Amino acid sequence: MQRNNRFSSVLGRSAWPPALLTLSLALIAGLTASSLNLQARDNPPDRIPSYVAWTPETIAAASGGDAFRGMLLAKRCDHCHGAEGFSPIASTPNLAGMDKLATWKQLEDFRTRKRLSRVMEPIATSLSSRDVADVVAYYAALPVLPDPQDNRTFPQSQADPGHAAIASRLISFGDGERGIPPCQACHGPVAYRTGVPSLATQNAAYVLNQLEAFANRARTNDINMPMRTITALLTEGERQAIADYYGSGLGLQPASSTAPK
Amino acid sequence: MNWPKLRTFLLTVLVLCLIPATRYYQIDVPLLRFLRGSHHVDPLSLHLSGEFVENNLGTEQEPDGSVIVRMIAQQYLFIPHCVLVPAGVAVHLRITSADAVHSLTFNGTDYAVKVLPGTISEAQLQFPRPGEYKMPCREFCGAGHYAMRSELKVVPRDQFPALRPEERGNCAAQ
Repeated sequence: MQRNNRFSSVLGRSAWPPALLTLSLALIAGLTASSLNLQARDNPPDRIPSYVAWTPETIAAASGGDAFRGMLLAKRCDHCHGAEGFSPIASTPNLAGMDKLATWKQLEDFRTRKRLSRVMEPIATSLSSRDVADVVAYYAALPVLPDPQDNRTFPQSQADPGHAAIASRLISFGDGERGIPPCQACHGPVAYRTGVPSLATQNAAYVLNQLEAFANRARTNDINMPMRTITALLTEGERQAIADYYGSGLGLQPASSTAPK
Repeated sequence: MNWPKLRTFLLTVLVLCLIPATRYYQIDVPLLRFLRGSHHVDPLSLHLSGEFVENNLGTEQEPDGSVIVRMIAQQYLFIPHCVLVPAGVAVHLRITSADAVHSLTFNGTDYAVKVLPGTISEAQLQFPRPGEYKMPCREFCGAGHYAMRSELKVVPRDQFPALRPEERGNCAAQ
């Protein structure tokens, strides 16, 4: 009788709310778990190389900077990147005459941790979007061609002639057999793509570091992975030869004029 | 009835009909694309979301054994650079361009796929025998066009790795 009583009380009015609550909670938990599981199975997290997309709005924001304000802001960059945009440190990039969009994209990628650097990340984070546009406008306005009065530190090395022949072939013609496009088709002076840096006055050690980083996937901020693909196709010697070629200032003239006959 | 006028009118109509009739090969693919709809992709933000994000490129295995190959054509590369497919199965190719017009061709076969920015080009391919095919670009796309060449590796079905649903195959992973 007592047992029956208790049973009826369990099913009675007083016991229904907790039972319903437990049931609905279990249902919600189950649904959430299954939907999470489904998401994990159907859509693995997208691997995004960079948040930059070259829409007209992005290009307008990146190229509308004030070079004079940028000059004042760039005083803090002088220590590493040089007062004339030519770095005294071989592994730090020269920024003189660098395309606005190229510098802008790298600062954006440093800020969003798509390109990793302990030095550049806090600097890029501290700049406002207007500051970034101004700084890149300043560096784009700096002259690339040598002047006898300046004391720039470029070129820092001399190319080995044997190496230079390998490099100039790759830079001007690429290698059709292996599907390696010529460097100068995107990095100048023959043609550029949006947001691609010019390499004609870049330091050898910096170019080599970046080629190695792309090949080892330590740097992954190239949109649609062209650099990761190409650097992986190059041999170690070829990467070294290309770095030496650009680092010794040979890139200032069209590569085909120095190509072997 | 003004016969000379009617004759001129009929002749004009005939000529106007002949123009699309002789150029049908140029209009039919875009027209079909338009009719099918929903093939639009934003060429500038392929890497941010959607079907052509980095980790979705390459060969996807379907439960029935056929494969889907997703690629991007970009000056001056096809990505992934080396594609791996099993021999003798249906290969469903989906490719789009990030910039210019390209054309993906397979040396030694009749296949040629026009790749336009903004739309997804689809093709049903089949490679009966294992082997290696060069895939050059046959549409002039810029300064590096002549070196724009990637590679297709067709392997026997038993040598093709079993892929997990989220995994994409290519030669590098083999």
